[in-house]
Amino acid sequence: MNDISPVQTIGLPQPFVDGPEKVTGKAMYAADFSAADALVGRILRSPVAHAKIVSVDTARAEALAGVLAVVTGEDCADTHGVLPIAMNEWALARYRVRYRGEPVAAVAAVDEATAQQALALIEVEYEELPAYFTAEEARAEGAIDLHEERPGNIERDVHFDLGDVDGGMAEADLVREMTFQCAEVCQAQMEPHAAFAEYDTARERLTMRSSTQVPYYVHLMLARVLGIDKLQVRVVKPYIGGGFGSRTETLQSELAAALLARKAGRSVKVVLSREETFITHRGRPESQLRMKVGMRKDGTITAVDFEAVQRGGAYSDYGIVTILYAGSMIYGIYDITSARFEGYRVLTNTPPCGAFRGHGTVKTRFAFESLIDDMAIELGLDPFEVRRANLLQAPTMTENDLLVNSYGLDECLDWVEQASGWRQRKGKLGPYRGLGMACSHYISGASKPKHWTGEPHATIHLRVDWDASITLLTGAAEIGQGSSTVMAQCVAETLGVDMGRIRVISSDSALTPKDNGSYSSRVTYMVGNASIDAAQNLKAKLIEAAARKLEIAPEDVECLGEVYRGGQQDQGLSFDEVVMEALGGEGTLTVKGIFDTIPESWGGRKYRGAAIGGTMAFSYAAQVVEVAVDPDTAEITVEKVWVAHDCGKALNPLSVEGQVQGSVWMGMGQAMTEETRLHDGLLLHANMLDYRVPTIVDSPPIEVKIVEAADPHGPFGAKEAGEGSLSGFLPALTNAVADAIGVRATELPLTPDRLLDLLEKTALAERAGGKEVA
Amino acid sequence: MEQLPQMRMHRPATAEEAVALHAEAAAARYLAGGSDLIVNVRRGIEQPEALIYLNGIGEMHEIAESDGGISMGGALTLRQLAENEILRRDYPAVAEAAGEVAGPSHREYGTLGGNLCLDTRCIYYNQSEWWRATNSYCLKHRGEICHVAPGGKKCFAAFSGDLAPALLLFDAEVELAGPDGRRRLPLAEMYRNDGLDHLTLAAGELLVAVHLPALPADVRSGYAKSRVRGSIDFPLAGAAVRLSVKDGALGDLRVALTGVGSWPFLVPGTEKFIGGPLDEETSAQLRELVRAKAKAMKTTTTAPHYRRRVAGVLAQRLAEGLATA
Repeated sequence: MNDISPVQTIGLPQPFVDGPEKVTGKAMYAADFSAADALVGRILRSPVAHAKIVSVDTARAEALAGVLAVVTGEDCADTHGVLPIAMNEWALARYRVRYRGEPVAAVAAVDEATAQQALALIEVEYEELPAYFTAEEARAEGAIDLHEERPGNIERDVHFDLGDVDGGMAEADLVREMTFQCAEVCQAQMEPHAAFAEYDTARERLTMRSSTQVPYYVHLMLARVLGIDKLQVRVVKPYIGGGFGSRTETLQSELAAALLARKAGRSVKVVLSREETFITHRGRPESQLRMKVGMRKDGTITAVDFEAVQRGGAYSDYGIVTILYAGSMIYGIYDITSARFEGYRVLTNTPPCGAFRGHGTVKTRFAFESLIDDMAIELGLDPFEVRRANLLQAPTMTENDLLVNSYGLDECLDWVEQASGWRQRKGKLGPYRGLGMACSHYISGASKPKHWTGEPHATIHLRVDWDASITLLTGAAEIGQGSSTVMAQCVAETLGVDMGRIRVISSDSALTPKDNGSYSSRVTYMVGNASIDAAQNLKAKLIEAAARKLEIAPEDVECLGEVYRGGQQDQGLSFDEVVMEALGGEGTLTVKGIFDTIPESWGGRKYRGAAIGGTMAFSYAAQVVEVAVDPDTAEITVEKVWVAHDCGKALNPLSVEGQVQGSVWMGMGQAMTEETRLHDGLLLHANMLDYRVPTIVDSPPIEVKIVEAADPHGPFGAKEAGEGSLSGFLPALTNAVADAIGVRATELPLTPDRLLDLLEKTALAERAGGKEVA
Repeated sequence: MEQLPQMRMHRPATAEEAVALHAEAAAARYLAGGSDLIVNVRRGIEQPEALIYLNGIGEMHEIAESDGGISMGGALTLRQLAENEILRRDYPAVAEAAGEVAGPSHREYGTLGGNLCLDTRCIYYNQSEWWRATNSYCLKHRGEICHVAPGGKKCFAAFSGDLAPALLLFDAEVELAGPDGRRRLPLAEMYRNDGLDHLTLAAGELLVAVHLPALPADVRSGYAKSRVRGSIDFPLAGAAVRLSVKDGALGDLRVALTGVGSWPFLVPGTEKFIGGPLDEETSAQLRELVRAKAKAMKTTTTAPHYRRRVAGVLAQRLAEGLATA
C-alpha cells in the first residue's frame, strides 16, 4: 500500500479527452444534425453596398410549393450585437443595408433547390446611397452617416495622454516616426458557420445547436431577437471546427435559423457556404498606423506617440473594444511611462470586423517592434539589447493601471537568442538571408466581462454518483483548443485521481452552468481555477466521509487520490468506498467551484475605456525568425522559427506547444499572404484559393520553448497560451527581411509583388542618391 | 458549397461511344478528374445535363513508347505522368509540370486531358453565381463588360494549365475523336489567344491521347512555376524551357509560357540565341525577351507586372540551370 500516491496529470502531455471522436469521424458538428421534419434554410443577401430598403415583397416566395417560412427584418423583435452599448445590427436588415452580402431575408423550404428558387422570388426594392469602402472615404467631409447615432462614421475615438510624452520625446537621444498599413484578415477557420434550430411548438421552446464559441451570448441574443423569454431557449454547442474569434458573437446564420424554425414550426438547418462565411467576416480590421518613439542611447524608451485608424465595417460589433485594446496594449510588456494614443474606429460599407485571435494587439505590436528594431540599429544596439533595456519587474502596475503579476519575458528572450544562435549567426548568414526578432504579450481573459452581472467569471459543477465517476459540467466552450481536457486535468490533479474517472459535459444550457465562452484566452485561467475550486470542495466532502468511515478526525485523513487512509499502516478505503460513504444519507453529490477576478486586475480609470486591457495575468513571448529572400522574385522563405512562450505553467504541454505553433503559423499567414480584397465592396477573396492561407508546404519548422513564470493566481500558476505568440511573428518577419536585404516593409501582408515594388522603389531611390524611402 | 444540379452520368467503354453519347445528349460535358469542371458546376458557370465519364475508356489510360517517341492516354493522372520513368528521363519538363500541379490529392484525380483543356480563369469569373450576378456578370459568361479591362471587347481570362507549355516544347500532337472520326492536331493549334474561347476543338471532340515525337539527342528540359503558396495555387506564371548545348554554344532553345495569357504559347524570338553561349549577358536578354512576351493581366489578386517579371526570371533560371547541367 505504501507505493500508492496521487495520480499526476498536470504538466504531462495529455491527448484531448474529446479527440477520439474527431479522428474517427464520429464527432457531430452543427451541420451533422438532422431531424425528420428538418427544413433547409437559406439567406437572401443584399447585392448593393449601401441602400435604403424601400420594400421587401415575399408573397411570391411564400406561395411557392415547398416553402414553409420566409422571414425578414420585420420578424426580428430587436437588434443584436455583442457589446451591450452597441447593439445596432439586425439579424435580417431593416430600413437599410450597409454592405454587399448583408442578409435581407431568409427562407425555409423542403429542400435546397426549392429554398434557392424561393430566394429568387423575393423582391426587394432598394434606394441606393453612397458607399464607403475605406476609412478615409467614410471620414471624409460630406460623407453620410451609416448610423444616425454615429456622426462622422466614427464608432469610437479614443484619446489618452499618460505621463509626459512631449517631455519624454525632448529628453530622447533619438526620435523616429513611421507609418504602417495592414490589410484586413479573416480567420478562415476550417468549419463554415452552421446552425440547427429545433422549435417545439407545443411548449414554444427553441433548441439551438450551432458552431459558436459563445453559447451564452447566443442564448441571450436568440431571446432578444425572437422576443421570447430566455427560459424558452436552450443552446447546445456541438463539436466546433475552429473559432479564432470568428464566432465570438451571435451570427445571422443562428438568428435566421431560429426565426425560420419558429415561423415554420419545424426544425431548420442553415449551413453557410465558404463564401457566405467570408461575407459574415468578423475578422481583423484594415488599419493605418502612425507611431513615434523616443529612445535614449542605451535603448530605454522615453515616450510613445501612437495613432491607429481601423476600418471597422458596417456595424459596431467588438469595435469599441478593439480600438481600446490597440491603445492599452502599448503597455504591459515593456516599462513605458509616457504614451499618447489617438484611436479611431470607423464605420464603412464592408462586412463587420470582430475579435480575431490576438484581438486588438497585433498591429500595435507590429508597429512598435518594427520601429524599435530600426532605432536599435540606428543607435548601434542589438535588437535583444533594446528589448532588455525596457523590461518590467513583476509585480507591478503599468502606467495605465494594468496588473502585471508574473513576467517571463527575460527568460523567453534568453532562450530564443541562444537557440537561434543569434550572437554567432546574425549578420553572417550570407547574402539575402537574415534573422529578425520580436516580443509580444496577451491577456489571460478580460477581468471585467462585457456583460457585467455580478456573477462569478466562471462556475463549475462536479457530480459524483454511485458509480464513483465524476461528471464535470461546464459551460466553457470546447472549440478545439483543449479546454475540456484542461478542466479534467485540473480536477484530476486536485483530487489525485485518474483522468478516466472524469467525464466532461460541455456547453448545454439545460445541463451546464453558465459560462461567458471561449474568447480573450480566459478559459484556462478562469475556468481552470473554478475547476480546482470545485475539486477542492469535493475533496473536502470525501475527506469528511472517509474520516467518518475510518473513525478518525478529517485532518488525520491522508488523501492519496484513489485511496484515502488514516496512516501508513492503514489499509485505507478505495475511492469507491469513500464515495459510497459520502452518498450515504445525502444521495448524489453535487459540488461547485467558482472563480472571480481581483479588483486590482480590473484595469484603470485614467481615460474613458481604460478598463479594457485589465487582466489577471499576461503571457509573454519572444521569437526569432530566419528568412531567405529571393532577390529576383522577391519570394520570402521562412527557414525556421524559434519561439519561447511564458504561459506560467503548461498544464498540458502537448496542447501548449500546438497552440504556440498555431499562433506563429497564423501570424505568418497575416504577415505574408493573407488579405481580404474588395471590388466595389464585393469580396474578391471569398474562397480558399483566393484567400491565401499558408499550406503545410509553406510552414517552417517551429521550435517551441515553454517558459513557466508562474502566476500567483493562475491555476497551478498557468496563464494564457493560445494567442500571445501570434503578434510577434509579423515584426520578427519584417525585421528579418530588413536584416536580409536592407529594406523596411511597413505594409502587410508582405507578398512577393509588394516586396518587389519595395525593392524597386529602394533601388530607384538609391540611384537617385536618396537614403530614406518613404 | 453550392448545390449540384441533377445530371445524368454516362460511362462509355470506348472513345467512339463517348463521342456518340456527347452528340445525343443536350448540354453534355466530358468528365475525367472533375477538379476543374465540378468546381465550375457548383459555381453555376457550367450547368451540364449529362456527364460523360471517361475513366472506363481503356486506351485513354495507356502510355507507351511509339516511333521513338511516346503516346499518352488523355485519362492518365497527373501523378502517373509525374512518376513515369520515360518522361522523367527524356521529357523531364513534362514530368516536372505534372508534378507541380496543385497538391498531391489534385494530382491523384486530375488528368492529362483535363489539364490541357482547363477552362481559363479570372478573379471576376471564378466566383459564385450570386457574386457574378451581383457584379453584372462579365464578358466571358452572360455579361457585357470585362472587369479586367473595362471598355475592351476582349476577354483576358488566363490559361493556367501546367502541362501545355511543357508539351509545346516538344511539338506534341493531340489525337482527337469527334463525330467525324479521329484526327491529329499539333497541340499549339488546339489553342487560341482568347479567354472567351481558347480551345479550337470542334463541338463534342474528345482528347484521346497526346503524342510526343522522338527527341533529338542531348535535349534538356525543365519546368518551373511561380505561385504564392507552395501548393494548391494555379501558376501566377509558368515557364518551360528546352535547350541543348554543344561546344559551349546553344544548339537549341525554346521557351513556352502559361498563366500569363489566355493560351499557352512558345515565346517567339528565342532562336536568335542559338549558336551563341548562354552567358550573363544573353541570359539577361532572354529574361527580358520573356518578360516582354508575358502579357499577364489583372486576372488574379497578384499584380500583373509581378507576373510578367517573374516569368522572365523563371525562364532565365531554368535556362541557366539546364545549360550548366
